[in-house]
Amino acid sequence: MLHIKNGIVIDPKNGIDAEKMDIFVKNGKIVEESEVKGDVKVIDASNKLVVAGGFDMHAHIAGSKINVGREMRPEEMRTVRLVAGKFRASIGRVLLTSPAIGYEYAKMGYTSAFEAAQPPVGALHTHEELDAIPMIDKAALPVFGNWHFVLKYVAEKNWEKLRTFIAWAIERTKGFGVKVVNPGGVEAWMYGGNCKSLDDEVPGFGVTPREIITALIQETENLNLSHSVHLHCNNLGTPGNYETTIESMKLASKFSNDRRQVLHVTHVQFNAYSGSSWRDVGSGAAEIAKYVNSVDNITIDMGQPIFGHATAMTGDAPFQFTLHKLTGARWSNKDSEIEGGAGIVPIGYLPKNPIHALQWAIGLELGLLVDSDKVVLSTDYPNGGPFTEYPYIMAMLMSRKMREKELERVSPYVQKATGLAAIDREKTLFEVIQMTRSLPARVMGLDSKGHLGFGADADIAIYNFDPLTVDVTNDFETVYKVFKTSAYTIKGGEIIAMNGELVKEVWGRTFWVDATSKVEMEAIESDLDEMFSKYYSLERQNYGVEESWIKKPERLVMG
Amino acid sequence: MLILKPKFDFEISVEAEITPALALATDEEISNYQVYYGKDKAKLSDLFEISREGDDAKLLLDGDFSKVKWIGARMDEGEIVVKGDIGDHCGAYMTGGKIVVEGNALDWIGAEMKGGEIEVNGNVRNYVGCAYWGNMTGMTGGKITVKGNAGNYIGEKMGGGEIEIMGDTGDFVGTEMKDGTIVIHGNCGFVGGDMKGGTIKIKGNFELVPGFRKVEDGFEGDVNAGGKGKVLQL
Repeated sequence: MLHIKNGIVIDPKNGIDAEKMDIFVKNGKIVEESEVKGDVKVIDASNKLVVAGGFDMHAHIAGSKINVGREMRPEEMRTVRLVAGKFRASIGRVLLTSPAIGYEYAKMGYTSAFEAAQPPVGALHTHEELDAIPMIDKAALPVFGNWHFVLKYVAEKNWEKLRTFIAWAIERTKGFGVKVVNPGGVEAWMYGGNCKSLDDEVPGFGVTPREIITALIQETENLNLSHSVHLHCNNLGTPGNYETTIESMKLASKFSNDRRQVLHVTHVQFNAYSGSSWRDVGSGAAEIAKYVNSVDNITIDMGQPIFGHATAMTGDAPFQFTLHKLTGARWSNKDSEIEGGAGIVPIGYLPKNPIHALQWAIGLELGLLVDSDKVVLSTDYPNGGPFTEYPYIMAMLMSRKMREKELERVSPYVQKATGLAAIDREKTLFEVIQMTRSLPARVMGLDSKGHLGFGADADIAIYNFDPLTVDVTNDFETVYKVFKTSAYTIKGGEIIAMNGELVKEVWGRTFWVDATSKVEMEAIESDLDEMFSKYYSLERQNYGVEESWIKKPERLVMG
Repeated sequence: MLILKPKFDFEISVEAEITPALALATDEEISNYQVYYGKDKAKLSDLFEISREGDDAKLLLDGDFSKVKWIGARMDEGEIVVKGDIGDHCGAYMTGGKIVVEGNALDWIGAEMKGGEIEVNGNVRNYVGCAYWGNMTGMTGGKITVKGNAGNYIGEKMGGGEIEIMGDTGDFVGTEMKDGTIVIHGNCGFVGGDMKGGTIKIKGNFELVPGFRKVEDGFEGDVNAGGKGKVLQL
């Protein structure tokens, strides 16, 4: 049991903005004072900021992509963070080993991170790797947008089968929701093509990205899954693509859900370029922000690039090839049977490179211009850079002065191609806490995460920082430093890190969603048997992950 | 001059980033200098007998150092003389000074070095003056001379400087080489794959990868990489 005394609490979900409060913890949950009696450990949080543990809802932390990235980038593995001892050895520059991922999140006050693209056939591998990440709660989103079953049912307009298939697939992969990566485009890539617009036909199926996205939103909503469709748009990384992004967002307009958004569009920075070529590329962030702010059924995350090393890894195989051709860097391509593919390319973001500076500015524009209850802070780790630099983004959003200082060292191209320099807006600490805690939890549909109300998971971060006295707009260096390492990180009621030092290794849960009770499996039995016998490299009975194979599974039954 | 002799036959690798600058330190600092014996931390005096002759920035390594890695790594001046064999990564990243190995050297000698001089009287193994895996550029300056033979991957991704091998070498000489010179007095295997620039001169026999075309004084390529590297007969 814990008693966190006299902390300055910011808890956006419960409307608490910098109030002095005590927090009580029992059995891994936040409880009322009256429930905590006897042997209580008191943490003095006087003049310290107390918030819920950070929640990274979109990162690539496990599965075949990151592992191939590690294989092809030995130079990333020369940074030793921790020598084996009480804790496991932890290495990596931006691409980290599994233990390093858990440890670095914990040191920063983050307590949950979700793998954002799980190739379904690689589900077991993904879960094995998630099980090797200590400290944090986890989940994985399987990718659906190029899966032959999906393309076939959308072509047939057989919504019952599509719905049943989604429920079957999420159960089999022990997944959390419906991720869609470049719908149709990765299938087209199998023939050397791509789907650049929403109306490009997918070869061999006679369907379009527009139909795929609409159908997946429709059936995700019919199943009322915890999380909405999570979309990586078509035409990523191309000048002028912001129009495709807005068009994709409009596909959600006829759907609504009173609990959460019906479409989450991810790493929007990579999908927010105006112009017609790399010569006249500019920012489409303002238009996107305008649209997102005008509707209440869409959320986004930033995909903010951080200057320095990164590794582009997405399920968007054709885009990765384009990137490889553009930069000349190493390239690896992955094909996951009839489900999709992926690609990996090392990248470095340089402040003086006009395109990189533009991307950096667009990410910030999105973070600043979109309402704080609709934009989640992310780097799309490791695509935009390390998650350990989230404090940099937080500080930048809160301080115009810091942005002005940073603008001086980047390519002047951003001055004419983006509106960043003219943005006066400074997000408040409350808003930044919202973007990193309560909002991602709401986007994922997890009521027990991202806040400090009674009954919430006791995932708490305490920072050496008094929000009542520190001036976040002028003292941006302090803000950055303070959020890099928490004074305390508490996971499930246990202190796991203090002042940037690990204290205790704990193993978080792996959430997965079970919607099988909402469908009749009979509808797709014969299709599954047929497709597996014809097209898969493995037998149907060997496909998928059993719950008992996962270290600490947490099944969320969709009722 | 600082003289180091192994106290016993090392069963496992020793990692000791020692440069001639150590000779200028106090006796206590030298004795306590941290090295690794396998995964365990050790003091220099745990593994080596230490003595001094004069006070110049020079190291004399007397005995079998073939299990000792990273000698002379990142050194910028002074001299190291190795009486016997030397282990991996000798002179890696060095920017100046001189290393003389009287015996043989193992892998990664002079990897990514920027300046200075390395001389090996015996043979060397692989990756002479190479880039470490994943890095873009190998050695960019200085000179490596080998009196004996060398293994595979000589000067991979080399961006400058000179490598001279008096004997024979194995395959993949100057792969992805960008600049600088490699001179081989004996025979060698495949040469110049994906070469972009620089010069390789060979006295003996060699095999060329298919991406080279005949020019007046030798061969130019690798055309597959749009390269203008030269492979010449010495």
